[in-house]
Amino acid sequence: MQDLLYFSQQLINGLTIGSAYALIAIGYTMVYGIIGMINFAHGEIYMIGAYTALLAITGLATLGVTWLPLILLIALICAMIVSSSMGWAVERVAYRPVRGRHRLIPLISAIGMSIFLQNYVHLAQGSRNIGFPALIEGGFQFGSSGAFQMSLSYMQITIFITTLICMTLLSLFISRSRTGRACRAVSQDIGMANLLGIDTNRIISATFVIGAALAAVAGLLLGMYYGSIDPLFGFIAGLKAFTAAVLGGIGSIPGAMLGGLILGVSESMTSGYLSGEYKDVVSFGLLILILLFKPTGLLGKPEVEKI
Amino acid sequence: MRTPVKKLAIAVSTSIALLGAGQAAAEIQVGIAGPMTGPVAQYGDMQFSGARMAIEQINANGGVNGEKLVGVEYDDVCDPKQAVTVANSLVNDGVRFVVGHLCSSSTQPASDIYEDEGILMVTPASTSPEITERGYELVFRTIGLDSMQGPVAGNYIASLNPERVAIVHDKQQYGEGIATAVRDTLKGQGVEIAMFEGITAGDKDFSSLITKLKQADVDYVYYGGYHPELGLILRQARQADLDATFMGPEGVGNKDINTIAGEAAEGLLVTLPPSFDQKAENQKLVAAFESKGEDPSGPFVLTSYAAVQLIAEGIEKADSTDPFDVAEALRSNSFETPIGTVEYDKAGDMKSFEFVVYEWHSDGSKTPVK
Amino acid sequence: MAANNLKHALFCAVVTLVIAYPILGLNLEAQGINVTLEGADASTVISVLAAAVVVFLFQLFRDNILSVLKSVPSPLPKSQKEPMAENKRARIESWVLTGIVILALFWPFFVSRGAVDLATLVLIYIMLALGLNVVVGLAGLLDLGYVAFYAVGAYTFALLSQYAGVSFWVALPIGACLAALFGFTLGFPVLRLRGDYLAIVTLGFGEIIRILLNNWTSLTGGPNGVGGIPDPTLFGMEFGRRVKEEGNVSFHETFGIAYSGEHKVIFLYLIALVLAVFTALVIRRFMRMPVGRSWEALREDEIAARSLGMSRTAVKLSAFTIGAFFAGFAGTVFASKQGFISPESFVFLESAIILAIVVLGGMGSQIGVVLAAIAVTILPELAREFSEYRMLIFGAAMVLMMIWRPQGLMPVRRIHIELSKQE
Repeated sequence: MQDLLYFSQQLINGLTIGSAYALIAIGYTMVYGIIGMINFAHGEIYMIGAYTALLAITGLATLGVTWLPLILLIALICAMIVSSSMGWAVERVAYRPVRGRHRLIPLISAIGMSIFLQNYVHLAQGSRNIGFPALIEGGFQFGSSGAFQMSLSYMQITIFITTLICMTLLSLFISRSRTGRACRAVSQDIGMANLLGIDTNRIISATFVIGAALAAVAGLLLGMYYGSIDPLFGFIAGLKAFTAAVLGGIGSIPGAMLGGLILGVSESMTSGYLSGEYKDVVSFGLLILILLFKPTGLLGKPEVEKI
Repeated sequence: MRTPVKKLAIAVSTSIALLGAGQAAAEIQVGIAGPMTGPVAQYGDMQFSGARMAIEQINANGGVNGEKLVGVEYDDVCDPKQAVTVANSLVNDGVRFVVGHLCSSSTQPASDIYEDEGILMVTPASTSPEITERGYELVFRTIGLDSMQGPVAGNYIASLNPERVAIVHDKQQYGEGIATAVRDTLKGQGVEIAMFEGITAGDKDFSSLITKLKQADVDYVYYGGYHPELGLILRQARQADLDATFMGPEGVGNKDINTIAGEAAEGLLVTLPPSFDQKAENQKLVAAFESKGEDPSGPFVLTSYAAVQLIAEGIEKADSTDPFDVAEALRSNSFETPIGTVEYDKAGDMKSFEFVVYEWHSDGSKTPVK
Repeated sequence: MAANNLKHALFCAVVTLVIAYPILGLNLEAQGINVTLEGADASTVISVLAAAVVVFLFQLFRDNILSVLKSVPSPLPKSQKEPMAENKRARIESWVLTGIVILALFWPFFVSRGAVDLATLVLIYIMLALGLNVVVGLAGLLDLGYVAFYAVGAYTFALLSQYAGVSFWVALPIGACLAALFGFTLGFPVLRLRGDYLAIVTLGFGEIIRILLNNWTSLTGGPNGVGGIPDPTLFGMEFGRRVKEEGNVSFHETFGIAYSGEHKVIFLYLIALVLAVFTALVIRRFMRMPVGRSWEALREDEIAARSLGMSRTAVKLSAFTIGAFFAGFAGTVFASKQGFISPESFVFLESAIILAIVVLGGMGSQIGVVLAAIAVTILPELAREFSEYRMLIFGAAMVLMMIWRPQGLMPVRRIHIELSKQE
């Protein structure tokens, strides 16, 4: 009984982290689906989202605002605006001029951008870990056996629900709206979409903006959940999210969700049953195996090499 | 292509000129090597402020044998690679006495160079026992060892009659060293160790670890490492309703842990060197720090002060600026410093250094428990 | 059009403000136990505003500025000039390289110890960059985990000396070969991946190696690293003050001169110099050999190269293995220079720095890589204040290089020359 509870608790831990990974993974998967490049700087955009949210929360606390929903809403909006602008600007400055060149050129440009943004925040805000206030505290207790008690914190519930809402909205947006339809068209055949009068530049910008906004949501949520942020924490989270995107099939939005959850759970099971030291090895190992044996991921479509 | 080449040539030659600039030693140079930048720069600040104050006060009192001390500061970012570069530039600048380095992992490679080049080193913060285990003549410290701090923590936990204790560490030289010492002490006292596990420094998600701690049903958790990770563990443990008392070494006793852990920092136990700034005989010194707007309460401020003072008095006692003579003088005399009476054994460790258990509070203050 | 421009310019200016002001203009300060928000000083705010104005003006007059820029003759009039014949260029290059090497041989005897020590580090980076240049520049395989092979070389020496008392000279080939073996084993499965997937897999591999080094405490000492790595010896002569190994004699006693720490530093420098020259020469040879040509052929057009009967795997694998080999070389020298190594020295950032050197140097000529290695290592030492901005500038430089001079990475020059000759 206790083993089962322990397993379920680790499962909850994993799903929490996994759904946040999924939010970040959307940015990778959409960009890759449309222009076929790995937006290496996406992890940094997530980190900037977290910083902006903390700036907003601290600012509101100074102003004396105490009503929690208002604080969260304002922090969320600020983070989304700054991150999306950053995503837009990054695409404009570093990716658009090199679009269509050899595959490695945009990738190196993206790595440069990632290093640049990391150090930009590092220089402006310092390198120390900054505490992120725990705004949502408390939780449910249930299913105790022996001394072990399972718990589900309100923060974890918030992360699940927010992710679910974001994913639903995004799916609706992609399937129903005009821009969403254009997005799908561009990802299928960018040249053809262009001929049909779709402003592809606009659609690509929109992809970056949407991805960045979702990353900002993840930044706020994980900032509160973890408890501290630093300028380097976006890099590793970005890699994890990229793994999630590849796992689920890059280019596929449900795939990103599935990949995120699988990755989160396998990480928490590794820490729970083996040792926390090896959880990064497991996620990178998973990434390598997937790329070697099933590069299309779980839900992805096979890519045909055109000559 | 031509212009960049030229520019580079200029750059290279300037760098050589800069690096080659030796100094005529009319004064006694004291190198201060520690992190001015990087993730643990706040500990470096303590080191620099303590050492600067000591140099200032010694010079105000007429210097050492009539010669002034000059502080030469170096930034090693707590990176072992930079520490080697710093050590080499110290040699280059003709510095023969060093206060540093801070992190054990920097001190160790740097001390190889100092020993080879005949430079006397006093570290105010590196607690790894290995540093003084290698039979070096010129390596000293003004701080205790992990192997002294561990037993203090272990004995304290044992005295509380715990049922099960978990020990977690960050796998770094410092953290794992103390954690191992605590484990050995507890084992010796017959306490059950439910868990001994490493985490990755820099990690943010500890929910799995905390679930593990819950299942192991521990009542005490000892953490060997620094404050950023322990802060997160404390806070996430509180979120998950883990009911255990945490304890850590002096690397977690920093106000930054409160900004991360918030309320969860209340009741944390920390082993620290005694608050030298609370001692009655140090009040004049404390006032001097405060008049400069600096905080003398950090764990490494007064140890750095003492390190400079020891070098100065060692030179006076030996009546020589030869580091080997000064080392001999340090070993054969006893010195009165703000951190108490200092006597050295053969290895360069202080014969006694006390650690005290404090209880940490959520407002960043601390009270001794014994 | 003008109204459109104005709208766009305004939008860009607002975006500049939004991305710059919150992060630069507001600082999170830890005040005791609370985090508070503080406005930055006026100069920061003014420069943020100025940046927004500049962006606004640039976007507003974008068309005019661009047309003016286009009419100005390019400052690098290479494209108009008849390119130098390849053999002539190569000859000049080898003269220059020989000159540099001769200069470098005598230079350490006239400068200070710190400068020589720094120069040794530069030489290590040169070896690394030359090796990575084979993989990235010539074969067009983006390897983001290059530092793993560097680590293999360094740890091989460190562990062999710790457990088996092996000396530098024995460990040097072993370390390099082991690194090459690692490259070969890793390369075998992953090289069939497409460019960007390959980059990510190598990145993951590099991280895994580092984490394993970090966690395998019983063998590698974990984060504590391995210390006490011996210095290289010269025919059994040690350079330390005291002889550490039995049977060896010390350098200064043999020659009856006073002990000086500089001997060791200069000796290490000379070893690094010889090895760097060796690396450069071997790779130069390879570039002229069929295998070198096939690297470039495969990079330029994989499908065409394969249809000419080239084995994709064999060609890529050879580049990967050779690159790894020289990383192992550099690793051994690094371990011996440091005397102490830990996983901290082999993080992703290190891979990124080596990549930055290759990218900034542009490939084609090895001189470019050598100069970039010198610049990247020495500039931060020149101005300590600059070192804080070092990575920021690297990042920006990588982006700008890709936008303006990607041919540094993807040179097509040689092929152009050959074609025009035949016409």
